[in-house]
Amino acid sequence: MAETVVETKVETSLGTPWNVVVHDDPVNLMSYVTMVFQRIFGFSKQKAQHHMLEVHQKGRSIVWTGARERAEFYVQQLHSYLLLATLEKAE
Amino acid sequence: MLIRRLKENSIELMDIEPIEAELLRQVPGVCDSGGDSRSEARLFSSPASSTEGQFLNDWTEYVQPGLRHLFLSARTTVKEDLEKLPELKGHRGRLVVPRTHCDAWLNALNQARLILATKFNFTDRELSMHEAPKWFSRRDMVLQQINFYAEVQERIIDVIEDE
Repeated sequence: MAETVVETKVETSLGTPWNVVVHDDPVNLMSYVTMVFQRIFGFSKQKAQHHMLEVHQKGRSIVWTGARERAEFYVQQLHSYLLLATLEKAE
Repeated sequence: MLIRRLKENSIELMDIEPIEAELLRQVPGVCDSGGDSRSEARLFSSPASSTEGQFLNDWTEYVQPGLRHLFLSARTTVKEDLEKLPELKGHRGRLVVPRTHCDAWLNALNQARLILATKFNFTDRELSMHEAPKWFSRRDMVLQQINFYAEVQERIIDVIEDE
């Protein structure tokens, strides 16, 4: 008897990735911003400081890129620490 | 004033000068924006560009109340901690803060600094100046207050990171 093989194509819609962007703010302390990045994203101190300095020197830093829902969660977390953060479509 | 870890579960603010105690006691009051639109706009900044209309509406309806509650809760925690600091009549004071309250302190101090900086229109340059002016206007005094709160934040972060 011939076997019928049914193949199911699973489509995973990843959608457009989104960036979580942190913007410069003269009030938030460098040490505070570094601490917040470590806490929220689990960054090493070195990586957290890299992003903090990017914010400080360039005015903004993309700290995370990925699915929209997760990006919204991270922006909310950053706002709870009073950091200036937005989400935007990744190019 | 010195800030150090006292035991595993608390930090100690010691040798608090009367003027420092007064500035600390002002934190919860300073955090109250009094409905000032610019201060509110800074505390509750936009999470996306205006093209994200639905997201911004949802944010205002569902996220902002939670943030407002969090900020108010931090102020309340600091206020209650400070009620344990006795009136200092010419001598230095001491305050023990539970370690679990440190985030509330960092948050409330940040709120206070953001609101003062917004209300008094301090520039980046002014906020990074640390030398004392030759004479003090009200604005200069507020800048010293912002810098004092920043120092307290730095010390609390040092203590937390030492753990």
